[in-house]
Amino acid sequence: MSSTPRRYRRSAALALAVPLIALTACAAPESSASTAYEDWDAVLEDAEGQTVQLWMYGGDDQGNAYVDDILAPAVAEYGVTLERVPVTDTADALNRVFTEIQAGRDDGTVDLIWVNGDNFRTGKEADAWLCGWTDLLPSMAATDPDDPLLQSDFGTPVDGCEAPWQKAQFTLAYNAEAIPNPPTTLAGVLDWAEANPGRFTYPAPPDFTGSVFVREVLASVSGGADEVPAAYSDEAFDELSPALYDRLSELAPSLWRGGDTYPANEAELGQLFADRQIDITMTYGPATLTDLVADGTYPPETTVLPLEDGTVGNASFLGLPANSDSVAGAMVVANVALSVEQQVAKAQPDVWGQFTVLDIESLSDADRELFDTLPESPVVPGYEVLSENAHGELAAEWVPALDEGWRTGVLDR
Amino acid sequence: MSFAPVARRQGSAGQLLRGAMLVLPAALVTLLVVGGGIGATLLQALGLMPIAGPVTPGVDAFLAHPDDLAAATGVSIAVATVSTVIAVIVGTAAAVVIASGRAGSRLLAALGATTVTVPHLVGAATIGLLLSDAGVLPRLLGIPPESWAPWVGGPLWAAAIAEFAWKESAFVALVVTGTLATRIATYDETAALLGAGRWRRFRHVLLPLTAPTIVICAAISFVYALGSYEVSWLLGRTYPEPLPVLAVRLFQGVSLSSRPEAAAVALVTCAIALVAVAGTFAALRRTAVWR
Repeated sequence: MSSTPRRYRRSAALALAVPLIALTACAAPESSASTAYEDWDAVLEDAEGQTVQLWMYGGDDQGNAYVDDILAPAVAEYGVTLERVPVTDTADALNRVFTEIQAGRDDGTVDLIWVNGDNFRTGKEADAWLCGWTDLLPSMAATDPDDPLLQSDFGTPVDGCEAPWQKAQFTLAYNAEAIPNPPTTLAGVLDWAEANPGRFTYPAPPDFTGSVFVREVLASVSGGADEVPAAYSDEAFDELSPALYDRLSELAPSLWRGGDTYPANEAELGQLFADRQIDITMTYGPATLTDLVADGTYPPETTVLPLEDGTVGNASFLGLPANSDSVAGAMVVANVALSVEQQVAKAQPDVWGQFTVLDIESLSDADRELFDTLPESPVVPGYEVLSENAHGELAAEWVPALDEGWRTGVLDR
Repeated sequence: MSFAPVARRQGSAGQLLRGAMLVLPAALVTLLVVGGGIGATLLQALGLMPIAGPVTPGVDAFLAHPDDLAAATGVSIAVATVSTVIAVIVGTAAAVVIASGRAGSRLLAALGATTVTVPHLVGAATIGLLLSDAGVLPRLLGIPPESWAPWVGGPLWAAAIAEFAWKESAFVALVVTGTLATRIATYDETAALLGAGRWRRFRHVLLPLTAPTIVICAAISFVYALGSYEVSWLLGRTYPEPLPVLAVRLFQGVSLSSRPEAAAVALVTCAIALVAVAGTFAALRRTAVWR
């Protein structure tokens, strides 16, 4: 029994040591020095050897391939390693930043986020973004400083807290074989859905695509996009939203599965369209349609549906979290991503087909030629056609209010 | 009936202390990890750990979505209960067949062992591909999507229950087989020699002796199904959402207030799981083997 006290001591020491070691690991690191740069050369110098983690939606194969095969090698020339971190929702990336800020980490693992809209606004509310850095980027010279899409992001002033990356246009597409005479307005689409029960549905908000569809219906039932004030107010919401939820509740029994349930996201909606269970699909990334038709996933007769009342357009950005540990590298990635070469490469329909944020008119003749000679997609018309009669996004505050109202007013009838 | 294969010993104070000390390291680590996690969640739910802005203590987060929370609790408990009951019945039956050593028992054991190694996420994706409206099964059977029962995303949560029941029944089968392979087998043989039929032996020998194992397996299976996110998310419907799906949706919500609400939902899930585990131990103490 003489070994018993020693065993006690050993167990006790172990029992105390483990939590202590674990607790030390939880201690907040000391905050690092300010990362403000005076000039671009200093950024380039610091960026050398840094690894940048770009967190972005991972469900778009073309986007993934573009970043891995074209953007990453381009930034490697500056000594920057670009790692793509796929997420199912941009909020996941922002949540990671919040968690690290909560834990007091100044050496954050998220260096860039493909972001816009309410995620950007929430990050700004929480002071999670590094601001005032985009003026340093040489590539910013080729953007239009007066472009409203680049000045404010869903009504939230950009303030140099994110660098523009690409433009998007909300688009509906239909199976022309099933719909020989497609509707031409959004109200017409809803009427068509009622006339053809079970052949239409939309993703459940807060999914990004479902959410924008609900905002389009709001514009439609309110008598046009101009009738909905971009800035959010409780009065405007209370005045306009009842008509929206009434219309959508009325529509529900005519939807796929009688509106009993909804696809959870754009991918599930696309699956239903691919399976010919529905005849109209919708996306904020029309560029993906080209490939989906080409590889036989979508019906060969898939056609973009231009609406007379126009659809909403926006720009998406690269946001730099304030606690990133590779600020200079992230700036270099944002700058390269905004360069003419990268914007042209990304606009190729067989690469990603994304619309540029550059001001094409202000480019040199040679650079403009690159954009002018881009091949046309057999499915998706050019940005000028898609963005005809386009309207801007509502303020970001509208989004959670409309989404939550939809849950209580339509889903939970 | 009082039956105790392993007698309970009291032990001296020294022995008890020594036993406690040996468990202490494991208990402390568990307490640190689980307690730390739940503690941080509790702080967030009570508004004591905001991402930005001042600390605002209160229980607002628990009261933010009472209807959603009630619906989520109902559907979570229902799905977990139904899948657990199916898993226990199928798993126990499979274990009896495996332990009997009859023809096919090896095949069944191999099937069970293989099933246990398949991750739930893979299982959910497979069940989804198999049973969805335009899935493999309706296509093989030539049934059009609109005529196929809504297994995936349907009001009865059939696909999610099928996935949980399929995976957990293999788990129950393996654990119960392990119990049946102990000295219980000899009691079974004794009963057989004394002239007890199959059903009698199952009812009066096998079932009472394996009851603690079955109850523990059922608790694990229930708590797992209650807390599982990916299966319910992939195979479930948009409304009502089970607790973990509601928690994750709120956690990913864009407003800064939604994190505490997510933490509150997670705590409710945790509380239900704790009640289930406490109930299990209460039930265990009533079984013959425990006494």
